[in-house]
Amino acid sequence: MSVWNYVVTAHKPTSVTHSCVGNFTGPNQLNLIVAKCTRIEIHLLTPQGLQPMIDVPIYGRIATLELFRPHNETQDFLFIATERYKFCVLQWDGEKSELLTRAMGDVSDRIGRPTDNGQIGIIDPDCRLIGLHLYDGLFKVIPFDNKGQLKEAFNIRLEELQVLDIKFLYGCVKPTIVVLYQDNKDARHVKTYEVALKDKDFVEGPWSQNNLDNGAGLLIPVPAPLGGVIIIGEETIVYCNANSTFRAIPIKQSIIRAYGRVDPDGSRYLLGDNAGILHLLVLTHERERVTGLKIEYLGETSIASSISYLDNGVVYLVKLNLQADPNGSYVEVLERYVNLGPIVDFCVVDLDRQGQGQVVTCSGAFKDGSLRVVRNGIGINEQASVELQGIKGLWSLKSSFNDPYDMYLVVSFISETRFLAMNMEDELEETEIEGFDAQTQTLFCQNAINDLLIQVTANSVRLVSCTSRELVDQWNAPEGFSVNVASANASQVLLATGGGHLVYLEIKDSKLVEVKHIQLEHEISCVDLNPIGENPQYSSLAAVGMWTDISVRILSLPDLELIRKENLGGEIVPRSVLLCTLEGVSYLLCALGDGHLFSFLLNASTGELTDRKKVSLGTQPISLRTFSSKGTTHVFASSDRPTVIYSSNKKLLYSNVNLKEVNHMCPFNTAAIPDSLAIAKEGELSIGTIDDIQKLHIRTIPLNEQARRICHQEQSRTLAFCSFKHNQTSIEESETHFVRLLDHQTFEFLSIYQLDQYEHGCSIISCSFSDDNNVYYCVGTAYVLPEENEPSKGRILVFAVEDGRLQLIVEKETKGAVYSLNAFNGKLLAAINQKIQLYKWMLREDGSHELQSECGHHGHILALYTQTRGDFIVVGDLMKSISLLVYKHEESAIEELARDYNANWMSAVEMLDDEIYIGAENNYNIFTVRKNSDAATDEERGRLEVVGEYHLGEFVNRLRHGSLVMRLPDSEMGQIPTVIFGTINGVIGIIASLPHEQYVFLEKLQSTLVKFIKGVGNLSHEQWRSFHNDKKTSEARNFLDGDLIESFLDLSRNKMEEVAKGMGVPVEELSKRVEELTRLH
Amino acid sequence: MGADGGGGGGRKSSSPAGKPAEAARAGSLLAGLPSRGNFVADSIASSMGGLPIYVCLHDTAPPEGQVIDTDTTNILIRSLQLSKQKNEAKDVGSRTPGESSKGKRSASRLLDGKNPSKRANTGSTAGSSAHGELGSVFSEQTLQSFTVEKLRILLKERGLSPKGKKVSTENA
Repeated sequence: MSVWNYVVTAHKPTSVTHSCVGNFTGPNQLNLIVAKCTRIEIHLLTPQGLQPMIDVPIYGRIATLELFRPHNETQDFLFIATERYKFCVLQWDGEKSELLTRAMGDVSDRIGRPTDNGQIGIIDPDCRLIGLHLYDGLFKVIPFDNKGQLKEAFNIRLEELQVLDIKFLYGCVKPTIVVLYQDNKDARHVKTYEVALKDKDFVEGPWSQNNLDNGAGLLIPVPAPLGGVIIIGEETIVYCNANSTFRAIPIKQSIIRAYGRVDPDGSRYLLGDNAGILHLLVLTHERERVTGLKIEYLGETSIASSISYLDNGVVYLVKLNLQADPNGSYVEVLERYVNLGPIVDFCVVDLDRQGQGQVVTCSGAFKDGSLRVVRNGIGINEQASVELQGIKGLWSLKSSFNDPYDMYLVVSFISETRFLAMNMEDELEETEIEGFDAQTQTLFCQNAINDLLIQVTANSVRLVSCTSRELVDQWNAPEGFSVNVASANASQVLLATGGGHLVYLEIKDSKLVEVKHIQLEHEISCVDLNPIGENPQYSSLAAVGMWTDISVRILSLPDLELIRKENLGGEIVPRSVLLCTLEGVSYLLCALGDGHLFSFLLNASTGELTDRKKVSLGTQPISLRTFSSKGTTHVFASSDRPTVIYSSNKKLLYSNVNLKEVNHMCPFNTAAIPDSLAIAKEGELSIGTIDDIQKLHIRTIPLNEQARRICHQEQSRTLAFCSFKHNQTSIEESETHFVRLLDHQTFEFLSIYQLDQYEHGCSIISCSFSDDNNVYYCVGTAYVLPEENEPSKGRILVFAVEDGRLQLIVEKETKGAVYSLNAFNGKLLAAINQKIQLYKWMLREDGSHELQSECGHHGHILALYTQTRGDFIVVGDLMKSISLLVYKHEESAIEELARDYNANWMSAVEMLDDEIYIGAENNYNIFTVRKNSDAATDEERGRLEVVGEYHLGEFVNRLRHGSLVMRLPDSEMGQIPTVIFGTINGVIGIIASLPHEQYVFLEKLQSTLVKFIKGVGNLSHEQWRSFHNDKKTSEARNFLDGDLIESFLDLSRNKMEEVAKGMGVPVEELSKRVEELTRLH
Repeated sequence: MGADGGGGGGRKSSSPAGKPAEAARAGSLLAGLPSRGNFVADSIASSMGGLPIYVCLHDTAPPEGQVIDTDTTNILIRSLQLSKQKNEAKDVGSRTPGESSKGKRSASRLLDGKNPSKRANTGSTAGSSAHGELGSVFSEQTLQSFTVEKLRILLKERGLSPKGKKVSTENA
């Protein structure tokens, strides 16, 4: 790999951090706005449900998200503050569908200690000021003037240092905040302050309340006329207000972190706790006086981070029912959105053994924990299959023209054609269609108007009645000629015979009428007349692929006039052409015999071809066919690397299918298995259903406990992971930790090993030892005792998989937590607290094995992550960045070679190659360091030089070599090495090491794009990607933002041309190069 | 769409809510949830189509004056400045009558300069002796600097009427 790296997101963040509801996109439009760390999604509420509008990338990690309505405005504005102290106020321009920046700025202070409990951003309900609590002891005010414009911000000294929550109170003459804080005796109180805007200071507020619940952590201001505030504790909920009304109710102990207001007057709230229980809190009131509180259990959901009441009983993610279901739950889940976060660990495996990696993640926390299998491409789930050799073609037919489902499957062989039909038991059985010629190979089959069936063979075109199955009409090929290729739709047939003859037939009054016959100068290799115009039964265009001059031609129908000829170049013959309309855009696709595919935009009325693109899908001839899934049309390209071509945001996307080689495919939509596909593979015919058409396919294996470390063992065909279950009884909380074994195909639980009390699983690997042919799972653990700051005891457990069971072979006690394990030169390398320790695998006299300590290396704070390559060891330290160690065989010792002297708190490390190592740290940055082996002095050699820096904006938990896509040996992209990362917010990303030339080119593209694609809210891209931690901020280097670069493809054609002009490169070449990059993930 | 399947298949088991009476109460508490006409269809689809990515191609600079910065003055200094301003304002406030009289004074001075005959006229009135008395004790400038209150006291001491305008009093 290299120092020139390209970072791109393969799976966007999925954890929802904030959500709010308001009239953002229009005075009468109600929107749900959801923040997912670095993106916001805007949805529209409609009677039918939630309609997605846009997904907006933000150049920052969103710290607060609030909707507010300034005076004299008819719709809400959106206030966003980022964790790096930038803020912006956005307004939706309904006419242009643009996000306008109403204000923006920097709210950082040069001095100040960032708050421990996160940033707080609140807006006065009467829109007099925005309040921010960013640093301990300071409250920042951004006042509004009377025109709704923002004025210069100022800080106010806040006496309370440990603030837990701040909210504005409703219905106060002067803007009033209520502060929940903890004093230095750890008691919690609330206090109110009025903000005196003129004096730029606080005035002691109307009331305060001391000595609250020790777990009080959330304030809910109640709208006027009730006013006051609800204080949510762990054991009590309290309401208090200025008139010294004080109401309290006890609750079952729980930690409530999310609330959503139901009624505009604030008499009902939804509360979500840490166990995923949804409660309803009711304020009973009489004549604007609160008389009491009530809390009711509603049901169980996922653990909520944010709750928004949408409308008509629908809460974001959850529907409320008036009647309890039999389980006593009032909650019905309407829709689940897959959340991969937090990805605590993952492994890359090739489960289907196709050369394509799949990522198995440990996702979710506590009871929501699960394993997720993330795969690029589309899965086909085989429902039935039968052995059949030598299939040459596949078509499905309906029993009548208007029947919604398919009935027959026509399977063509070299010298015969067989017909299968669905019987009453929904089984496929062989049948006969008397009118069809079964003694020869079929070239094409199709349902036609008037309940007819068309069969094209080498000698004839036959028209058969659906009902009687008898021949109605026949067209015979002229003497001495045989039909080579043919295509048909409901009313037209186009066929080509030898000698370049092209014959066009129409079905009129159940007769085949030869309308036109022309001779072209070369032999014809493929034809298509799939209707793309308004009439689904008749096409006015035909596409023809040619031998000899290697061209594709568009002809008009019915007169077969040449409209357009496109030379494809090269020497490879087009083997399949297809006219199709995807998402309302018409395309001509043309596949060659060597696995390449051309795509053109087609003007359906003029036949004009534009936007020519070429991609490589495989190495064998491709045949193209349309199919539909969930009402949308897609294209299936059968070849040695079967691909689904689909359109998303009016862009053509290519997605691999989890099948090895497909010769033919046809849609087979039956009542029993709707939307299924019939697939002819080598020696096999199968029927399968297709997954949702999307780039990444995610399969969930729910665990109901949290998995922390995972690894794969090829030899035993298993996955093993460490997990824990949180047990909460009414008296005490406890955790039970396990090592679990799963089958890697079926994901069936095979075996379980329970760890001791207080023992946590910290690391797991699969490894083998020298002089032993067996493969083992090694698990590193720690005894986490409540009274210890750092674990002082742990174990290394060596398991063998025997008959699908975990068998403990050897255990070895360690003097600390085993944070990391690596297989190393036939030995076992462990990182134990501050030490790196090497263990030998020794055979005892009695034939059993033991781990024997060989050597070690001290000098770390906590060695958390280790990676090895040859004799080199890279250590990621808790707070001392990356260091490089070497194992010396002769001396049997581990020595430090070099280290990075920066104080980075590491969260993951990986070795890109022998020289370059990558690390991720806890301020959401990634960086690369290089070994200075050629340096002149010892001092320089002992230093790892920082060569690349980048602000990812995501907390990376794991970096691993691997790829999500199929590597084509012949494509350029196949040579680019990649590293996959997984983050807390559920991002899966790719870091690709580029050749220097390509890096320079893309760097130029990135800097050109920055001029065109602006940051929403005027946030700067350069600042966002700059390496930033407590100590320094420095410009990003040797990393490129792939998300920005790939957004080039979302630009309009005009803008693309402008960018290309700015780059001095033809637009086709530029799009081709960017498109290639998108195939990295 | 996926809503039905997701809802049906995805429902999690939950512990029973207890007594039916309690359940009924929770149900009644849920009555009358606010509705603004959304989510009323029989089958609610929560994801209709994909989410297009927003590409921001227009100028995103905020309107003039709306790039907000923080007042960088130290809070202590700012509060000192504010209280200084306040004190000044207070001083000014306490001097307000004087200030208002300043205008009058200058006016009177103007008058004095412009119309000495008028003063002569006033001088010929009954109060001339008083004026003389006062004038003999205090210079006119000193008198000008006196507040109305003080002048009144002085006048009372001399047994003169404390009524009338300052100017006339002084003149008196």
